[in-house]
Amino acid sequence: MSAIAEDNGRRLSPHRQDKRRSALSFVVIFAGIALFLQAAFVVHARPQDLITGAHGIADILSRAWPPDFASLPDALWPALETVDIAIFGTAVAVIVAVPLALVAARNTTPARPIYVLARMAIALARVVPDLVWALIFVTAVGLGPFPGALAIAIHSIGMMGRLFAELIEDMDMGPVEALTMTGASRLAVFSHAVIPSVLPSLAGITLYRLDENIRASLVLGFVGAGGIGFQLLTAMNLFQYRTVAMLLVVTFVIVVSAERLSAALRQRIA
Amino acid sequence: MSTPLIEVADLAMRFPARGRDDGHLALNGATMTLAPGELVVVLGANGCGKSTMLRCIAGMLRPTGGEVRVEGQAISGLSGRTLTEARMALGMIFQSAHLVKRRSVVANVLAGTLGRHRSLGIALGKLPHQETPHAMACLDEVGLAHFAPQRAGTLSGGQAQRVSVARALAQRPRALLADEPVASLDPDAAEELMTLLRRVAHQDGLGVLCVLHQPELARRFADRILGMQAGRIIFNHEPRHVRDNEVSALYVKRDASQRLAA
Repeated sequence: MSAIAEDNGRRLSPHRQDKRRSALSFVVIFAGIALFLQAAFVVHARPQDLITGAHGIADILSRAWPPDFASLPDALWPALETVDIAIFGTAVAVIVAVPLALVAARNTTPARPIYVLARMAIALARVVPDLVWALIFVTAVGLGPFPGALAIAIHSIGMMGRLFAELIEDMDMGPVEALTMTGASRLAVFSHAVIPSVLPSLAGITLYRLDENIRASLVLGFVGAGGIGFQLLTAMNLFQYRTVAMLLVVTFVIVVSAERLSAALRQRIA
Repeated sequence: MSTPLIEVADLAMRFPARGRDDGHLALNGATMTLAPGELVVVLGANGCGKSTMLRCIAGMLRPTGGEVRVEGQAISGLSGRTLTEARMALGMIFQSAHLVKRRSVVANVLAGTLGRHRSLGIALGKLPHQETPHAMACLDEVGLAHFAPQRAGTLSGGQAQRVSVARALAQRPRALLADEPVASLDPDAAEELMTLLRRVAHQDGLGVLCVLHQPELARRFADRILGMQAGRIIFNHEPRHVRDNEVSALYVKRDASQRLAA
């Protein structure tokens, strides 16, 4: 620290440095408060509305109680649909993202133009939200779980493609060089040096993505892409609040168990 | 002395120019031979071209002049499949072990045999298990057979480097090329590795060409010492004929004008 100050040709005493630092933190705190206030203004934040609306909330809650577990069997199929949309979408995404990441990693790409193209494809898949992909696919293939699964697949290709590519770029290239020298074929070098080194992280990223995709799949139902989200929307529109409450319990169970399972599996492979 | 295993004749290597300069001449007429059963050590200061020479011999770099012959076959003109096959006669040992850390020790040694097994299964990640006895014999040769099932990531630096020698031996090479193999090892491990390389040369009859930074190790283990400076070999003697001032002259810093002229 002091060496840097000396290099700049102006030595700061510890006292002056302290002064500078406290002035800087004052500016940062002030800017933070200003940022929050403008956000509160833009979103029309009026906490008093929550108090006047309290009896409305109480009314809905009382009408939602007790949850209608008699209609639980009707919710099981959509629940399975929600989970399967995520599983199918994640599986398709892995199959596409792994080869895509190989050409989108600087150290394994066969040629510069292919690298740029692959990076662009990954960026496009990522920056368009899965909700928008779902809307696009619903207009293309109609309502139902399939457009939801496609939307999740495309968005996940973007998210995982980037992470996989970074994983490959950070990989130790030593074994690759060593195996190339033994006369092994290109594919053999890849499968014996690259894959064993990155496989655990690759599986970890995929499991994490699956967990995220189950939550995404719930929301996608709201735009007509099937699953329990669609049931939720329908029950809301029909004012069947007790059914809504039951569906929320089911959702809670799905999300929490997916999260737990994914975390447990990731811990085992790490 | 028997017929040479490796012949390097008048080797030149000019790295492509970047910006204003006209490229760096790393090798400038290097000439040497390596016979089966001998351990030859190359000494020289940083940037004298010793690693570049090794890489040209291994076919990792294509020299801009001169010739490399491995068992009489010129290697510098080859590419693709023929280069891969010619290269299989040469086992390479690097500064670090370059093992796949998540695989077992024996799996890493088996990977050395991948060049001679070209089935689809092997290409997709299966190991050539019929080679396991051979791999175990190679591990035994480096004294680490009892580590076979262990993960490579759990080995110490010296052990890992010896496994990388076993991997190179699994390839069934006629010569080993070692590029500063003891640079990241402690003195004891370095001693052990040099003993191993000497045994591989004297007992198994492989030619071993080893780049080193330690003149003292070179004197004790080498059958011949090559001194390299400015891209050429300036002496080539048995250790007892190498004079101290010859060695120290290798490490004298040459001024910039001389470097440019070279």
